Amino acid sequence: MILPGSVKECVQALAEHGAAAKLVAGGTDLLPQLKNHLLKPGVVVDLSGVATLKKLTADKGLRIGAAVTARELERDGRLATGAYRGLAESGALVGSVQVRHLATVGGNICNAAPSADMIPPLLALDAEAVIAGPRGERRVPLRDFITGVRTTVLGADELLVELSVPDPGPHSGGAYLRHTPRRELDIAVVGVGSQVTLANGVCTKARIALAAVAPTPVHARAAERALEGQALTPQRIEEAAKLAVEAARPISDQRGSVEFRRHLVRVLTRRTLTTALARANGGQA
Amino acid sequence: MSTMKTTRDVRGVGLSIPRPDGPEKVTGRVQYVADMTSRGLLHAKLLRSRHAHARIVGIDTTRAKALPGVRAVLTARDIPELKHKAPTRAHAVLAIDRVVFAGQPVAAVAADEAAIAEEALDLIEVQYEVLPAAVDPLKSMQPGAPPVAELGTEADTSEALAHSAVAMAKGEAAPAKAVNISQTAAVKRGDVAKGFAESDLVLEHTYRVPMVHQGYLEPHAVLAEWDRAGNLTLWASTQGSFNTRSEVADVLGIEENRIKVIPVECGGGFGGKIRALCEPITALLARATKRPVRYVMTRREELEAGMPAPQVIIRLKTGVKRDGALMALEAETVLESGAFSGTVLAVSAVFLGSLYRWPAFDIKGSEVLTHKPSVAAYRAPVAPQTIFAIDSHMESLARALALDPVEFRRRHLQKPGEPMVNNQPWASNGAHEVLTRIAEHPLWKEREAWKKSSGNGHGLRGTGLALGGWLGGLQPTSATVKLNPDGTLAVLTGQVDIAGTNIALAQIAATAYGLDIDKVKITTGDTDVAPLTGLSAGSKTIYTVGTAVLQAAQNARQQTLEIAAKELEASVQDLEIVDGKVIVRGVPDKGVTLASIGKKGNLYMSKVEPVLGVAHPAFSQQAPAFAAQLARIEVDPDTGQTTLHDFVVVQDAGHAINPLGVEGQMQGGAVQSLGIALTEALMYDDSGRLMNPSLLDYRTLTAADLPDIETIIVEVPSPSGPYGARGVGEPPIVPAPAALANAIHDATGVRLTEVPLTPERIALAIAAKG
Repeated sequence: MILPGSVKECVQALAEHGAAAKLVAGGTDLLPQLKNHLLKPGVVVDLSGVATLKKLTADKGLRIGAAVTARELERDGRLATGAYRGLAESGALVGSVQVRHLATVGGNICNAAPSADMIPPLLALDAEAVIAGPRGERRVPLRDFITGVRTTVLGADELLVELSVPDPGPHSGGAYLRHTPRRELDIAVVGVGSQVTLANGVCTKARIALAAVAPTPVHARAAERALEGQALTPQRIEEAAKLAVEAARPISDQRGSVEFRRHLVRVLTRRTLTTALARANGGQA
Repeated sequence: MSTMKTTRDVRGVGLSIPRPDGPEKVTGRVQYVADMTSRGLLHAKLLRSRHAHARIVGIDTTRAKALPGVRAVLTARDIPELKHKAPTRAHAVLAIDRVVFAGQPVAAVAADEAAIAEEALDLIEVQYEVLPAAVDPLKSMQPGAPPVAELGTEADTSEALAHSAVAMAKGEAAPAKAVNISQTAAVKRGDVAKGFAESDLVLEHTYRVPMVHQGYLEPHAVLAEWDRAGNLTLWASTQGSFNTRSEVADVLGIEENRIKVIPVECGGGFGGKIRALCEPITALLARATKRPVRYVMTRREELEAGMPAPQVIIRLKTGVKRDGALMALEAETVLESGAFSGTVLAVSAVFLGSLYRWPAFDIKGSEVLTHKPSVAAYRAPVAPQTIFAIDSHMESLARALALDPVEFRRRHLQKPGEPMVNNQPWASNGAHEVLTRIAEHPLWKEREAWKKSSGNGHGLRGTGLALGGWLGGLQPTSATVKLNPDGTLAVLTGQVDIAGTNIALAQIAATAYGLDIDKVKITTGDTDVAPLTGLSAGSKTIYTVGTAVLQAAQNARQQTLEIAAKELEASVQDLEIVDGKVIVRGVPDKGVTLASIGKKGNLYMSKVEPVLGVAHPAFSQQAPAFAAQLARIEVDPDTGQTTLHDFVVVQDAGHAINPLGVEGQMQGGAVQSLGIALTEALMYDDSGRLMNPSLLDYRTLTAADLPDIETIIVEVPSPSGPYGARGVGEPPIVPAPAALANAIHDATGVRLTEVPLTPERIALAIAAKG
């Protein structure tokens, strides 16, 4: 176990131990994997001493440190407004209260589960991943960050330090919904994060990100394009919801069938778009 | 049972007293087997088959044995006691040359540390020849299915005897080629074909309840140690230490006197800790190493290789007249028993054919083996599954005929004295009373208004109820009650307290003897010191052991009064016990204290006999107990999500010995019943592997999913139970699957015949209906 005090020291530790090292922040994904012998790291690098990773800055957009917890997203007043509400909602849905106090946004992203809750709203906000490594810092759009089930662009000597969210503008609203059979302590059967930005009553930008319906979280591009440049009526939202289903490539497993997941994509896309629209219009929905 | 009247009220029966073990448990101070240690303790781990059905070609343990810290590696070869035709799961300690379910142990390791034992498992090389597996019970019934049991293995019906001795005719022998049908039973009355021909409405559905796990918090665990003389001590988490002793003695082929089972605090059993499971292999590892060995199953092992409840599939066909008269019932029940026989066929037939008054019925039942873990009891075994079928059906019939669903049930509900399917009369019970009581509940009376409030931002709202119960188990038992030298009372049984029964038994002793509860201590002894008793199962602890304690306390009281009568020169009939003193009725200042009687019974040179009340009754009269449950729900028609707004349990306790404890049973049973109804299922893929071997995907409900549960106790005294008490543990797990299916039907118009009633099933059924 290594306990670095800065990002620089983290990078040094990774340079020294390479693929044998595993980073731990909240540990809510890592510990079960260790317990089930899915991972056998030679050394664990504990990020809890790196203060900069825990910062959340809101100034013309957001800068979210990778070790910001789900609970902080859930409770931070700056995320309670329309534009960032989807992000707050995703934080509020992770695990249980106890888990949310530990689980971090960076951990959720780097674990790269298809069902990760905090990824769709960040995708919908066009977030960028800020990565630190031996050659300095690089920035990768979040949509390119995750490459497959539990795989990312991160090299063995790199770590995710921050999520950078561009200013969505004054008339933007976001929403995240997921379906689980249980209310808490469950994993999304389907998750949908939607973000709509308006100008003069017309949608200038629409983003719909789907979780647990493909190996990675995916954008519903056709649905987004069908909304952009349009006034958002219930009919257009319903059409977009139908189009979103086409972006989903779900599998049948113990959590849900292909048929039900496609059904849920439509339902949750419609609902998140409707809520996001109301929030973009300044509603308190 | 005549209840001896004490002349003065004492603090005993009828008081709500919190369980004394509660604070110890919620603060984590209780010592479970996993917390126990012993000098030189070794830790056991089992290597389990990944395949549901395979031939073991070879096992190489060389590398595992060479690992430092490993003290023993056992395979079937090392255990001469093992038999090819294992009559029970307990006898199948390690697979011999064939594995018959994924998760079956093939080798066992004892090592200095658990981590070393686990590492050793990875070093054992097993060569398998994978064979086709019978996974679906309906296919497994067919000729030509891959065989599960060794040819000639007998069906195991001991579970039925333990739970609810309901005599049933054995069915005709299964067709010779259907190798996996291990038991059949059939009952018939009247002319079913004529009944259907004369019916105005014939309804047929197939109901399905999957395998579910009992969900006890503490996994199976045992610590085994042999002494130099060859005597074995087992510290066990068990529902019946004498049963564990018998089973282990039988597997090891040694006398029961050589085994002492010490029942350690049991963190839940619900039927899953009746039969021996990991005790024999742990004892064998301890024998091989000459060291104490502890084995604690992991949650994953529990889910993959515990002893869950059987899958139950019931095809049910009924005919009724337009006016609601019942005409005929035909049913075929399939119980999927997993790799070993051991289910209860009779319960299903009793509830299908004789909860309601069917003039003609034809009921067949089969137990079918599959390549899955063998099953065991789960709180009211097969009753929730059967009531799901018959109560859903009664509701559907009432709705189809536009009859009031409660009135329809009440009209046809059998009364005490009327014949069950086996022609034995229904014993006294409160089925009518609980149904009447729940129908008076405001949530039932206001169900139309609730339904009408659907929409307008709300989901689809509905109300449903169901009636179910349990026939009541019986088993001989015994208890002693002794008077201590200071006038306090000590009760001894061998009964494992898994449900707060010890405090209730002490309350019975207090009232029967005539002494306040705070002067009564109760102890569960080990198998060397306690008098014989049965399982803590079948809702029979208070009914049977309570009777033994009542009789032993009365016996001790009689002895006490006889000693006092001599001293007071009075007749026993004129004596009473008041405030720890035996007095002549009406003369409170003339008396002798219990302490002085107790002391004389233990005094050097004393001629006064010590007071020792003893009772060892056997039983023949069951006391059925019923519960009705009501659910007020709301369904999101798009996602299929069901929200439970209110849940009510009405239950006949006969006489609530400790009302707080009874309510606890009603709450806990309701939660498990709702889990079966809404979320729980062991899911297997086509190769017979469990798809959800963790509590993440095996979904027991959490507090966040549940409303406050309202409990209403009804008391219809049992003529045979202590103070009129009936068993209370099992009835509350029975009705919810049917109650929820009925509520969802009320809300959505969709009738689901397979649980769990998941959002997926509900949403897709609503979408299909359009």
